[in-house]
Amino acid sequence: MPGVTEPPELLIRQAHVLDPATGLDGTTDVRLSSCRIAEIGEGLRGPREMDAEGLHLFPGFVDVHAHWRTPGREDEEDIESGSAAAAAGGFTSVVMMPNTDPIVDRPVVVSGLVRRVERESRVRARVSAALHVGLAGERLTEMRLLEQAGAFCVSDDGLGTASAGVLRNGMLYARSAGLPVILHCEDHTLATGVVHYGLAASLAGLPGSPASAEDAATATALILAAETGAKVHITHVSTALSAALVSFFKDRADVTADTTPHHLTLTEDLVSTLEGLYRVNPPLRPESDRSGVERALREGVLDFVATDHAPHASEEKELPLEEAAPGFLGHETAFAALYTDLVLGGRLSLGRLIQAMSCAPGRWIGGAGNLTVGAPADLTLADLSEEWTVERGTLASRSSNSPYVGRTLNGRVVGTIVGGEPVHDRTGVNFEARA
Amino acid sequence: METRSFLTLEDTSCEDLREILELARAFAEGRIRDALANKTVCLAFFEASTRTAVSFELAARRSGAHVISLSEKGSAISKGESLIDTIVTLDRLGADAIVLRHQAAGAAALASRHTSAPVINAGDGCGQHPTQALLDLYALSEALDGFEELQGRRVAIVGDILHSRVARSVMPAFVQAGMEVALVSPLTLLPPDAGALGLPVLSSVDEAVEWGADVLYMLRLQRERMTGARIPSVAEYARFYGISRRHLEGGALVMHPGPVNRGVEISGDVVLDNSSLIPDQVAAGVCVRSAVLALSTGAVHRIAA
Repeated sequence: MPGVTEPPELLIRQAHVLDPATGLDGTTDVRLSSCRIAEIGEGLRGPREMDAEGLHLFPGFVDVHAHWRTPGREDEEDIESGSAAAAAGGFTSVVMMPNTDPIVDRPVVVSGLVRRVERESRVRARVSAALHVGLAGERLTEMRLLEQAGAFCVSDDGLGTASAGVLRNGMLYARSAGLPVILHCEDHTLATGVVHYGLAASLAGLPGSPASAEDAATATALILAAETGAKVHITHVSTALSAALVSFFKDRADVTADTTPHHLTLTEDLVSTLEGLYRVNPPLRPESDRSGVERALREGVLDFVATDHAPHASEEKELPLEEAAPGFLGHETAFAALYTDLVLGGRLSLGRLIQAMSCAPGRWIGGAGNLTVGAPADLTLADLSEEWTVERGTLASRSSNSPYVGRTLNGRVVGTIVGGEPVHDRTGVNFEARA
Repeated sequence: METRSFLTLEDTSCEDLREILELARAFAEGRIRDALANKTVCLAFFEASTRTAVSFELAARRSGAHVISLSEKGSAISKGESLIDTIVTLDRLGADAIVLRHQAAGAAALASRHTSAPVINAGDGCGQHPTQALLDLYALSEALDGFEELQGRRVAIVGDILHSRVARSVMPAFVQAGMEVALVSPLTLLPPDAGALGLPVLSSVDEAVEWGADVLYMLRLQRERMTGARIPSVAEYARFYGISRRHLEGGALVMHPGPVNRGVEISGDVVLDNSSLIPDQVAAGVCVRSAVLALSTGAVHRIAA
């Protein structure tokens, strides 16, 4: 990971700097030194300059929901490829989910991952440990020992929510351990299908999971969060009702929530293709839910976007939808998909998008997502005018299960800087030192 | 003769506590003999108990009482007789005091409404265990050279406070004795709204030592709590809520109502260490319970000088 040796000073000249956290919105210079933001203003000089005229400069994106498949499924993604994909998408920090093999439910697995991230990751990566042993929703993990080993939060992501009584104790214990809980809200007694239980499923003849599978679990989680005082983050909210429930509990619990780029830009209509690629959990929803989630993001009810980057080998996706593994790649297309559909579509301001990709998740992980002098030099450069087509062969991820493959998107991340060091660079000569 | 039940210590004043402990001391020193001559003390144990039952029996016998023991095995209790029916029976048989151990909180208070004999609560569910708290105060006073010495000392109560009748009795007792009390427990083993008790909540024995605890009062972790629902593992519990030798370097005393899970609440090499008052607590049980029986039956009202 960058930052082991201090990168040389870098001056980014004349980018359009946009940071809703500090209110910056205009063309200026930014000087990076000693891994941090050293100076922001007009007419700065430095030994190594890059001309960023015409580019936008944002606080580095933060993705609190990534599956890097390590340990266990390095054929799908490893820390090197996952972090390369994150960097290509402008993400400077991610949180790695624990549903690996072995599952991240023991301190020794956490400490091993933390060490590997230091050596192998291009971006900052925090480790989420499991909330329950084996993600099984029964026995609590040794959260205090996990925390000492370097775990940042706990989650049973991927396997839905434990029964209410078990979850309540999990939240209480996590609070004792000082760890936030990320919850994938899904009631197994309701979630028995492979797609959203709606018109598209009916027409296609696919078993569906009703929205109530998510909504009932979300309601339970929020009620327990309010009662226990635990710090709870509800991830990948995909229904209008779940968003409304989050809204109700916003000032009654220590709760935040995210939704994904795909739930903001795609709907259950894709199910009619019957392609395994489009299986994802929670499933793509009808337009009424998509627009409800979009409104909730616009209004700040949903605090931020997280990608749920979930690589799968082709043999797990090139299958009938019912037999395919659920999940989409997310890192590399998140910004462009949201910029294209929501910002250019006139439904979300660029400022709110950056808030949702940088500032709010940066605040959630702590100390990231803002361009304050003295803050870590984690930045994302984007060319909003670039038009590009998502192609399998050009993705940095080791997998290719992106629902946007073949689509032409606007706006592209061209540079990612972590701790003052470029970790992704499509700007070409711009990073060259000025002798 | 005025009689008095011992159901809880919640309303027991500092002055009351001092008198009870002074009376216990008089019993310990042999200054009072045969205080319970011609009295009949009934031990009704609906729930298994070793040290409490033995301690009460010795306390009664050494003071000259007749003792009737009903335990869950081989008595009406094991035949399914209700609590109230058992109590009424003991009352009509002429019990002068009924010592009750029961698995449900509130059992002692319920029993006391169905007998004119004083009821001594020997532990009711997760409710109260007042004689345990009294013997703890006695043992601690002896160790510190006087009840007055408890004033201003800091005691951390560590472990499963949620399910502990001992905690519910020692908390008010320690507070009345002028001690500063902190609770050390994961939130899964802490009563809800524990903050409302006005006691600081700490998250490890290390923190309790840092807080300046003079006494580490360890609660027993019941085996049924070790299955992962509220505590992930014995290893993690012992690491954060167990005592090891390093915690005693500053001179803190260790107490535990027993029986100890060695290696869980207290590491094995510390249980009988010089810092441990655990044997003293057991020893204090007899004289304290003699005093309680004497006061409850009205055999003694004022402390013999």
